[in-house]
Amino acid sequence: MAIQNNDLRKQIVKMVYTAKDGHIPSAFSIIDILELLYSEYLHVDSKKPSWPERDYFILSKGHGCVALYTVLHQFGFLTDEDIKLFCKPGGILGEHPDCTKVPGVEASTGSLGHGFPYAVGLALGLRIKNRTANKVYVLVGDGECHEGTIWEAANVANNLQLGNMCVIVDWNGSAAQLMPRDDLPAKWRAFGWTTMVVDGHSESELRTALNNIRFQAEGSPSVIIAKTVKGKGVPMLEGHGVWHHRIPNEAEFAQIMEVLS
Amino acid sequence: MTSPSTKKLRQQFADTMLSVGQSDPDLVVMIGDISHFVLQPFAAACPGRFYNIGICEPTIVSMGAGLAKAGLFPVMHTIAPFLIERSFEQIKLDFCYQHLGGNLVSVGSAFDYANLGCTHHCYDDWALINSLPGTEIIYPATPIEFDVLFRQTYRNENLTLFRLPETQHGFVFKENELQFGKGIKITEGVHLTIIVTGPHLQDALETREGLIGLGWEPEIIYIHTIKPLDIELIRNSASKTQHVLVMEEHVRNGGLGDSVLRAIHDLGNIQFSWIGIPDVFIRDYASYQQHCEALGLSREGLIRNVQMLMARR
Repeated sequence: MAIQNNDLRKQIVKMVYTAKDGHIPSAFSIIDILELLYSEYLHVDSKKPSWPERDYFILSKGHGCVALYTVLHQFGFLTDEDIKLFCKPGGILGEHPDCTKVPGVEASTGSLGHGFPYAVGLALGLRIKNRTANKVYVLVGDGECHEGTIWEAANVANNLQLGNMCVIVDWNGSAAQLMPRDDLPAKWRAFGWTTMVVDGHSESELRTALNNIRFQAEGSPSVIIAKTVKGKGVPMLEGHGVWHHRIPNEAEFAQIMEVLS
Repeated sequence: MTSPSTKKLRQQFADTMLSVGQSDPDLVVMIGDISHFVLQPFAAACPGRFYNIGICEPTIVSMGAGLAKAGLFPVMHTIAPFLIERSFEQIKLDFCYQHLGGNLVSVGSAFDYANLGCTHHCYDDWALINSLPGTEIIYPATPIEFDVLFRQTYRNENLTLFRLPETQHGFVFKENELQFGKGIKITEGVHLTIIVTGPHLQDALETREGLIGLGWEPEIIYIHTIKPLDIELIRNSASKTQHVLVMEEHVRNGGLGDSVLRAIHDLGNIQFSWIGIPDVFIRDYASYQQHCEALGLSREGLIRNVQMLMARR
């Protein structure tokens, strides 16, 4: 299958290479999901980031933020200057997304296990306020699913029947490196969620799953378990090796950019 | 003076939620499986705004931040160590860093759950909350204090901790005497300033005549708002009496005593003493009153500490 979103991937690599900081493989595993969400599903307006009628996207696995920044840039929330100043003095973009600085970021995340329960409260709050049109999307990592608060929140959301929210799990295999009994679909089903499993790099499979979600004020919440590959798109980055938080040198940078071209 | 209320703080909490909730559709209460029955009138009067989330306190706090993000005013209520110590990172990151307002209402103040031991004690809560920007700490030790101070603060943009004690001091305040962030001078004095918070106002009041008999007329200052502290009132009194004693149910590090010391450190020539919980865990099994007596949080302890303080002159 042809790799999509190569331009976004190139921008991710450029940002990390220039700033000498960031997580390339974690961003590559979610970039296809984010691009599709922002281009076709999220009702957001870069001119009015706090528009009350907007949908909410929360990146609970905050260390994948370079992917979010590139998408927010593509959709007009961020300027070229913002991107240029990634991890630099005077910039608004750090190695974790900060909603107090970055337009379009709905929650400051980075400590795993926070964004999802926060989103559960947000989905409940929107229902209490009778804001039934607003949808809440949350992206969590599979490693993040080791956090107890993920399952606390999953239990609460099911019991409160928060049908206005959708969780997407970036199932890139990080968790199984440590805890190989990692049947995430069975776990989410056991918690009462409407569960779909897709290839997280397949636009058509992601689209089918997202189209299947019946967002409603009360009903079973939905989870899409997206099977992804860390570092997807550049073979030397793929998998669970040294590249999790490694910065490419000059030669490696050129090599990665060539693959993406 | 009217009679002291016999109402428990927890009942007043429920009554205030009912009253405020009926006029404010944005008040939402979440609990961690305590006070469920006492809050049923609120649940009935404010449908869809009462949630017994269960035993998952960090999630309750994160959810509270999410409710605030949606434009609501959340109240999160359970036993102090689980609400504050266990959920501290959620308080720090989800509320304070993101500038979201909310209300933590704890029971199990200090060592109120006396025989339950360290798991249910929480006498570092002020130090923890005090360390975070954008926070407030209120310690109401009579029902009217909670009711008035909650109404004054619950919709602001800060994260406010209300620590509800089981024991009350019995002093009757009028509503107009209670102002968030302002201490109350209970008695004028000359020789020393007793700065007291929580139930131990009663010890200070009951000790006053005895201290006068010993030749020391105390100025008693009652503090219901731990943060922000009424620094002006404290400095004025300390400047006058030059002897300050703080009495609190909190560990020494980061408690009211530390805040008072910071407030008066540059005045010079001030003698200072403190009664509270030293830098050790409370390990003995005992009643609340027995713990207080062992720690000196009693009339006898107060007199003893005043004698030592005044002997430094």
